Amino acid sequence: MTPLHITHHDTATGPTLYVTGELDYAQAPFLRDRVDRLVLRPDQCLTLDLSGLGYCDSSGITALLAARQHTLAAGAGIALAAVPATLRRILALVGLDQVFTLRPGAEPSPDAGCGV
Amino acid sequence: MCRTGGIFEPSGTGDDKAMDAAFTALLEDSAEELYESAPCGYLSTLMDGTIAKVNTTLLGWLGLEREAVVGRKYFADLLTVGGKLYHETHFAPLLRMQGELRGIALEMKTAQGGRLPVLVSSVIKTGSMGEPLLIRTTVFDASDRRAYEEELLRRRQDAERARAEAERARAEAERARAEAEQARRQAETDRERLADALAVLQKSLLPHTLPVLPGLETAVYYHTASPDQLGGDFYDLFSLDGKRWAFFLGDVCGKGPQAAALTSLTRYTLRAAAHHDPEPETVLTTLNAVLHEEYTASGDPRYCTCVFGVLAPAADGGMTVRLGSGGHPPALVLRGDGRAEYLPTPGGMLVGALPAVPFATAETTLAPGETLLLYTDGLTEARTGSTGEELYGEDALLAFAAGRAPAPPRAVITALTELLEGFGDGLNDDTALLALGIPAQDGPGAE
Repeated sequence: MTPLHITHHDTATGPTLYVTGELDYAQAPFLRDRVDRLVLRPDQCLTLDLSGLGYCDSSGITALLAARQHTLAAGAGIALAAVPATLRRILALVGLDQVFTLRPGAEPSPDAGCGV
Repeated sequence: MCRTGGIFEPSGTGDDKAMDAAFTALLEDSAEELYESAPCGYLSTLMDGTIAKVNTTLLGWLGLEREAVVGRKYFADLLTVGGKLYHETHFAPLLRMQGELRGIALEMKTAQGGRLPVLVSSVIKTGSMGEPLLIRTTVFDASDRRAYEEELLRRRQDAERARAEAERARAEAERARAEAEQARRQAETDRERLADALAVLQKSLLPHTLPVLPGLETAVYYHTASPDQLGGDFYDLFSLDGKRWAFFLGDVCGKGPQAAALTSLTRYTLRAAAHHDPEPETVLTTLNAVLHEEYTASGDPRYCTCVFGVLAPAADGGMTVRLGSGGHPPALVLRGDGRAEYLPTPGGMLVGALPAVPFATAETTLAPGETLLLYTDGLTEARTGSTGEELYGEDALLAFAAGRAPAPPRAVITALTELLEGFGDGLNDDTALLALGIPAQDGPGAE
């Protein structure tokens, strides 16, 4: 099991969390906890950069859904950036590609919507 | 006084004579002075104990004046009460019997009220006829020795205390070890009981046996990834109105008791909803509303992926299948002509996470000898390859099924069970398989 690492960077459009490691039953709660502690303004967009994510199971998907719920409650938006192919396939399978804004790269483009 | 011993005897040379003179000067003390100022106490008593003579050293130790002692006190008067008693009962009788006593520990009392531990030696001087005349006694200050002995005793008591302490600690450690062992055994028992309870609970989440339905053959398989965790996969098959049957198979997020609670709610909601209106999209919408209300709306998002379908008799002994999918991998059909195909349900959203979502539906007809396979992603997400990095995948499953079609449900499940076993550790998730088929009238698919 690769340990989960989350690093936080603030950008012009809002916070970015770089998530690396594995989002599984044991570790997904750490992401949920980290996102729950984020204070978001309504005009901000939370970006989860998943380029370093090695594995994501149903608990990981739940953590992403919880993050979405947290940002929506604050009136903010959420985007998933650099989603690995495997996770992209799973998101499409469960229909969540219609729910999350997926960005190809890590850097948010200035005019990119957040998919609120 | 004469010199005693040979050590200081002059050898007769000139230098030695000078040294001899120096020694003589040093030793010119009178016997009287030696008696009075000796480093020990001297006293002589009459046979009845009356003190007849006592030296200055002893008077000094006891802080007494000679006039108050000589002829006025008995030896026993100089002793403490305990010392007096001992003198009376042991010392004096023994002395009279033996004529001498050496190194007897007694305590004297001082004029200031203090106690002086002493070692006493006495000898009886006798006359020419052997008759006792008087008692000569030497007294040594034993304070230091007593202190030493007391220190020794104290040390011994300390050591004894420390030993007892160590013994107590050892017993304590032993007790703690026994308690830990007891706790370990208890935990082991609890763990076994929990595993038993989990197994029972797990079974309650799945039907004991699938109902026997006329014109339908069924087979199931359930693989539990971890015996310590309740699985999150579920399936069921039941009659709707005697002519139609409903089935479902799915996978809840997470593991353990929370997943089991979600599974239970999902299973009973699906069954109840199916009896109300078996249209797959309606059933899944109901389930979505129930799960969302129960969990996600209160900030605890949970969901399941699920295929729900209805079988209804069709012409020529076949059956129509109408199913809906909420974010679940597509069902697979093994055709009678040897093909295998997915029933695509793209865009179907997982159930329970979002307030209102679309579900995808699909329809097909199963002819006799054809089999519908539902599975959870434990199968398609199994890790394969030498490094375990590759996933088995839907393409490989399609090819596997095509290689065995046509095949009745039991044969399909048997083949897939062998496939799953071949994955070994690569099969790291619960996996449920449900196959439904129309028995072939004759031909290759028949049993």
